[in-house]
Amino acid sequence: MQPELERELIRKCKAGDARFYEPLVRAYEPSGLRLAVAMMGNTEDAQDALQDAFIKTYDTLQRFDLRRPFGPWFFQILRNQCRDMLRSRKAKFRMEEVDEFIEERPADHERGPERAHQRSDARTTLWKGLERIGPEHREILVLKELEGFRYGEIAQILEIPEGTVASRLYHARNALREALVGMNVEHP
Amino acid sequence: MNTRITTDDLMRYLDGELAPEERARVDTELATSTELQREVAIFRALKSDFQELSFHPAARYTSVWDRVNARVTRPIGWILLVAGLAVWLSYGVYLFTTSPSDPWEKMATGAIAIGILILFASVIWERYREWLRDPYRDVHR
Repeated sequence: MQPELERELIRKCKAGDARFYEPLVRAYEPSGLRLAVAMMGNTEDAQDALQDAFIKTYDTLQRFDLRRPFGPWFFQILRNQCRDMLRSRKAKFRMEEVDEFIEERPADHERGPERAHQRSDARTTLWKGLERIGPEHREILVLKELEGFRYGEIAQILEIPEGTVASRLYHARNALREALVGMNVEHP
Repeated sequence: MNTRITTDDLMRYLDGELAPEERARVDTELATSTELQREVAIFRALKSDFQELSFHPAARYTSVWDRVNARVTRPIGWILLVAGLAVWLSYGVYLFTTSPSDPWEKMATGAIAIGILILFASVIWERYREWLRDPYRDVHR
């Protein structure tokens, strides 16, 4: 979404018109769901976390500084929501069947069935590897690799100094690497 | 790693977060260190495969918008309901107090109205306390 359009929608929401919140929800729902699924491990809890995060975001929009990007701010709320749910008795990290989530890419099929099968296996292995690492590792990997956030944005979402992001990523990637080695995979 | 490149530098290098001169410094080190080359290759492979991982929740996923919308617009509904009730109640009290009926009629009607309100409030309060104590209130059907 264009930053100017995003700001305009937020301005209207701040003025009390909830109708303008829908495009924001629709725009951030897919990426929000990816982070929530990675943190919660299943769609059901991820959806609950996502819904509550959108509601909290709307309720606190008055405090949102329009000069800043909306995405990292929303992801910060979502991440805190997931953590709160995992801390409370409301939800427990529970990995769903990986096949339900791993999307097949058309490009894999274009390269032949064997290639498609190999890629599918690699993705399944990686997802299982993610299950074995801690939530703090998983969340930073999702923010960087799946959502493509810059270090500054990740620092804002995770509420850590920007200088810490690189070392956190190193530990997360190493943890994933070791998890994969533990699964007899040299590297994905 | 036995080089002058720190692990933080390595991550920044892989993620394109280094300034051009810092990137050139890593490239120089990379050209001479096989250990560093191996590290970079492993992390690149990991990164590449990770980026291919994606979720496919569409089959049974329904947007959260309807539920979000219901919750964000609910306060407006409550405000309108309470405001409307307050106006009607005030008007009713005004009519009641200014009507020329006998005082005993007013007292009896007032007692019935207050009694109904007390009973209604006590039922709501009891239900609310039960809900607070319910250990299964967060369990989804």
